[in-house]
Amino acid sequence: MTVLFWILGILAVPTAIFVLWLAWVFLKELFSPTPDDDTKAAQAAAELGLLPAERQNTELAAPLPKEWATALAAVRGGDWVPGAEVLTAIGRDWDRRSAFTALLAEIAAEEDTWLLAWEAARRDDPDAAGVRARSTVYLAWEIRGGKRAQYTTREQFDGFHRTLTAAREEIAKAAALNPDDPTPFVAEIWVALGLGYPNAEMDKLWAELTSRAPHHYEAHYAALQYWCAKWRGSQRLAVEFAERAAADAPLGSLLTALPLIAHFEHDESDTTAADNTPEMVARVDAALRDAAAADPSHPRLPELRHLLAFYLHLQDRNEAALEQFKLVDGHVNALPWRYRNDPAGYFCQVRDTVVQAVAEATAANG
Amino acid sequence: MGATLRALRALVLLLGFYLLSLVLLAALAGLDVLVFSWGHGPLTLKVGIITVLLGIPVVRGMLMLRTPKGEEPPGIPVTDAEEPRLWALVRELAAAAGTRAPDRILLTGEVNASVSENPRLLGLLPGRRRLTLGVPLLIGLTEAQLRSVLAHEFGHFTGGDTRLSALVVRGRVQIGRVIGQFHAAADEKVAADRARQERASAKRVAKGKKAKQIDTTGVGATYRTMARIYTAYGRLYLRASLSTARGQEYAADLAAARIAGRDATASALREIPVLSTSHDFYVDSYATLGLQARLLPPRGEFFGGFGRLLTAREPELAGLRSELPEEPAGAYDSHPPIADRVRRIEALPADGRTGEATGAALALLSDPARTLGALEDSVLLDELLTYPRAAGWQELLDASMAAGLSSARTPLHHALATYTGKPATLSTLLDVIDDGRLWRLAEQLPLTEEAAAAKGRVFREFVRPALHRSLRTMVLAEFSSRSLLHWEFSWTRPASVRLPGWGSETDDDGPETALEGALEAAVADHPDTERLRALLPPAIQTA
Repeated sequence: MTVLFWILGILAVPTAIFVLWLAWVFLKELFSPTPDDDTKAAQAAAELGLLPAERQNTELAAPLPKEWATALAAVRGGDWVPGAEVLTAIGRDWDRRSAFTALLAEIAAEEDTWLLAWEAARRDDPDAAGVRARSTVYLAWEIRGGKRAQYTTREQFDGFHRTLTAAREEIAKAAALNPDDPTPFVAEIWVALGLGYPNAEMDKLWAELTSRAPHHYEAHYAALQYWCAKWRGSQRLAVEFAERAAADAPLGSLLTALPLIAHFEHDESDTTAADNTPEMVARVDAALRDAAAADPSHPRLPELRHLLAFYLHLQDRNEAALEQFKLVDGHVNALPWRYRNDPAGYFCQVRDTVVQAVAEATAANG
Repeated sequence: MGATLRALRALVLLLGFYLLSLVLLAALAGLDVLVFSWGHGPLTLKVGIITVLLGIPVVRGMLMLRTPKGEEPPGIPVTDAEEPRLWALVRELAAAAGTRAPDRILLTGEVNASVSENPRLLGLLPGRRRLTLGVPLLIGLTEAQLRSVLAHEFGHFTGGDTRLSALVVRGRVQIGRVIGQFHAAADEKVAADRARQERASAKRVAKGKKAKQIDTTGVGATYRTMARIYTAYGRLYLRASLSTARGQEYAADLAAARIAGRDATASALREIPVLSTSHDFYVDSYATLGLQARLLPPRGEFFGGFGRLLTAREPELAGLRSELPEEPAGAYDSHPPIADRVRRIEALPADGRTGEATGAALALLSDPARTLGALEDSVLLDELLTYPRAAGWQELLDASMAAGLSSARTPLHHALATYTGKPATLSTLLDVIDDGRLWRLAEQLPLTEEAAAAKGRVFREFVRPALHRSLRTMVLAEFSSRSLLHWEFSWTRPASVRLPGWGSETDDDGPETALEGALEAAVADHPDTERLRALLPPAIQTA
């Protein structure tokens, strides 16, 4: 009997030790859990001075120049004069002009009392006419809503088409007031998308536009959307358009973004094989050279950097990707993040993965 | 196949239905016996109940032996003395088809002609024959086309089709009825089950759980299975009887072509679908136009106006006639597709009988106007017949549009009454607009989800079309109440409104354009009612 007790006692000791160890691990995990990979990556990103998702600006792709931001704030408060002054100062820099016109038009699409005051004070002001035309186009897209056709109501489509049709007159008026300015034609490309211009009519519009501004970034971006399969073109038409535009443009015009966007819009695959073809690597390299040669204050440069960050990551060039991420961190309203429901979350998730990959590579090498 | 053989087959198929029912009942009973002798307790009870429930429709189907008696459609019976020429024509055609002339002729208001016989002893003895002839057909067809239609109907008698069809029809009706009963029972069960699941689901939601998808597949499956057995038999039955039915139609067409001529027959076949569509349109848009104003067209015009419409729209109808309706005939339709019938007739060799009897068939009647009047008395509801008569179509249109406008309650009327707490009048509305409160008022309109969520310019774009429409109606009602509005009646186009001051101006600078512009200004982002007030009668021009 005693022998039996001895044997049992000896066996019980390791069991008891094991149970105690388990309890300790459990308690430790309960009070101070081991950080998981995501949290670690986020911490690493924070150490580099990169912002968490909730502090990312989802309205813009990059911070605005100070005088632009001040003018827009004044316009929101009902004072149109600073806005008009910025446009006058921009003058014939067409890329900047269409960018700032669009920013004003976005505000006017919500409420246009200030724009009416501007129009009343300066009859037939071409700048005001450009903002008016663009704001009506924005208004139409607001009425339509951002959902796919099957989730868009009859009422929305009717309002969309009615408003776009009204916008065409305003575009024609703005174009007549300043015949050199391509900005009204940029607005018309968004009308062409919505009203479904036949390709021939789009070609005519494109000729009007390129005769005024051959390498205009927003015009090319909008026209590429038109040529995409989901609007009025096809994958082949979109890629051809993008490649031709990129090949014809001088270095620094940022049009090397177009082939990347054309690829992005038609890529339905789950893997990164399609993003790693020699062709895609060459496109990314061309875009890197283009970005390096561009005017650092070009209003569209950050949009190209967002795309570059994404594709450099997909091509496992994480250090280069991190460099782009650092340059644009803080603003996420750009492709590819913009198409997601939670653009900031998506941006940070990809960025943190890049940060961690770089950290691991450095650890392995060092 | 001879008539006797066809009758025999119909009888066998009908008997097959009873046999099928007996076999099913026997199977159900056998199941009960099995369960009662082997099983015990609640299972026995449940199976018993189910078999009884399934047995009921089978027994009911077997006991319902009588085919439903077709009620006589409303119409006017006409005697030989009243319509000698029509009767002479009918007798001539019956004789040419080699069959007995009908005993009665009934004129109705439908686009249809048919000869029916009430057979006795399952069709073994001949019964009384009745020709039902729609007056709209008389209006729309030429005499030659009418001859062809009648010859077709009599052609059915020559082949003995109508007498024997009693058996075929009985079988069809009986099987259809049993299938219907099973489906009705299954639907009831599904509905009950859905209601139960919805109650349960509502509770789950109330408790904060995710609502379960309501699923009623499988419920009522036993009933559906029984229905499927009968449907399968019904298909067999129809396939056996349908080819006969369609063959009979072709044969009757051939008889018609022989008696009335090839061209008349082909053109009648083309004409009837056109007449049918036009007549539906005529009744909806013209004959019943005044009902909301409690007004009827002049006596005789309720049916007689159809002729005016056909004359006025002749070019449009010519196009319709040339294209044959291509939709396939329904699976259980006893008529072959009309396009097929026309092609077969037009493929016959020419018989040189073109241009015969091209006068309107209506002229066969001794006094068409009296007949059209009398037809209204026997076809229209008594309540309608008490309505006063308009002096003419133009008066009918004016009165009915005025009545429509004066009783119009647009969404804007409702919103205005809610917003101001006062009766909704045009002058109140214009005052609200002038106070700059149009867009506050617009928030009271019935809004879609998207419009309700919108703000600023987007909101205004969403509600503007409804505002514009309603305001236009209110303005027209204002003119109409002062008898300043006229409507242009037309047999070829929709009625168009004529505002005061309308003359021979082109569309660009007429009062219509002025009104549209004024309405747009009144519901613009920054509304301006000045132009609209200038157009209105003086009483409400100023606030």
